[in-house]
Amino acid sequence: MSVETTITTERIEQRITAFVTGRVKTEVPPEQDLFATGLVSSMFAMELVVQLEQDFAVQILGNDLKRDNFRSIEAMTALVSRLRDTEPSADA
Amino acid sequence: MPEPAPGRTRASAPGQTSARGREPLDGAREFIDELVGDRAADWDRDGLLPDDVLRALAGRGLLCAQVPAAHGGPGASSAANGAFTAYVGSRCSSLRSVMTSHGMAAWTIQRLGSAEQHAAYLPKLAGGRLAAVAFSEPEAGSDLSAIGTTIEPDGDGVVLNGQKTWTTAAHYADLIVVVGRYGSGAAAAVVPASAPGVTVERVPRPSGCRAAGHAHVRLDGVRLPASAVLGGGQPLMLLVTTALAYGRLSVAWGCAGILRACLGAAAEHARTRHQFGKPLAAHQLVGRHLANLLTAERTVTRMCEHASGCWDSGSPDMVMATVLAKQVGAVQAAQGAATAVQVLGSAAAHEGHVVERAYRDAKLMELIEGSTEICQLILADHAVSGAAV
Repeated sequence: MSVETTITTERIEQRITAFVTGRVKTEVPPEQDLFATGLVSSMFAMELVVQLEQDFAVQILGNDLKRDNFRSIEAMTALVSRLRDTEPSADA
Repeated sequence: MPEPAPGRTRASAPGQTSARGREPLDGAREFIDELVGDRAADWDRDGLLPDDVLRALAGRGLLCAQVPAAHGGPGASSAANGAFTAYVGSRCSSLRSVMTSHGMAAWTIQRLGSAEQHAAYLPKLAGGRLAAVAFSEPEAGSDLSAIGTTIEPDGDGVVLNGQKTWTTAAHYADLIVVVGRYGSGAAAAVVPASAPGVTVERVPRPSGCRAAGHAHVRLDGVRLPASAVLGGGQPLMLLVTTALAYGRLSVAWGCAGILRACLGAAAEHARTRHQFGKPLAAHQLVGRHLANLLTAERTVTRMCEHASGCWDSGSPDMVMATVLAKQVGAVQAAQGAATAVQVLGSAAAHEGHVVERAYRDAKLMELIEGSTEICQLILADHAVSGAAV
């Protein structure tokens, strides 16, 4: 299993940043609005959902799929942190 | 332990056994052979699939085989369900088309629903109830951002108003998953076809997949409990993209099946029919048709296998791999079916022949779940984004 049982918020943010940066081929600050800057299409948004689920062993379902949770790297980091806290054994 | 996230089916990866103690889709092909027999042409002509056939498949969970065993489904991987979908598609595209719509409804519930909604709906869909999913509207076809159907709070429930067109399998469905506007975003609602205010009217004589039960669905003040609303407030296009992904891959596998049927019929005819003193296959121009059909069938199958592999491993590449598989599958199936018609000549030029049905059915695959042009636009965007290379 590639996921550490404990992972810091900083590490989560680093990994999300690495994925987003690799995908859009440009530097993306954590607070940058990905939708407002046109960096994220609905296809890329879905890729983000799958990537976060796989990389952090969480499930992002129903109401958690709302746009605000994917608006920035910061927002995605907060989402992942919250889901990992509420479902620590999601991938056990 | 929580269930595996949708899109990943680690608990039932190929080679493992499901909670039922055997391979999830063991015996499914033989079951299809038994159910379909040589009746696909009759179903196509009549524009109707027998109720007992649909109920038998639905009862075994075979219309949504990726529903996890924890919810009473077969718990198949995307790869195993895809291979089964292609097999059904090689026998009867109408039946495969019902599988696609029903499976998409289950997937939408898996993806957007809460744990309570999973428990409420998925066992029904895996246990005999029939479902469909409704996106398109008279003014919202390729441009689904123009969806006008509304899902509005009303007391402690919701009320739906709107009109859906060309809803595959709606004629047979007990439950219709309807995508609509909800607040500033979107939601999907699970609508019983029997609910007051729901009118389901069949599309008369569709040109392809004639027995798939395409219908127009009108929703006039349909009242539902709040528990029937899946998600809510997501961006409309994220919701649509998410729900459509399953359908696109299912259609792509169905196209692999269409090509397999066409290749089989064309090869058999070219081997046995003689003209100018030798088998048709010995004529090089016919041989090229056979080579093209084989190439198309193998190419589409490999594309589908790759996309399903991405689903099963939880790779974000599943998103574009699925669009690519759908695009290649539909275009190749339409071309391949036309090629097969050419090889068989008058032998297939009558209603109901497997190749004649394939010709009509395959063209429809270029129109639905994102037309060829819409898929090309998505692929072009992906190319421009720089992510493709």
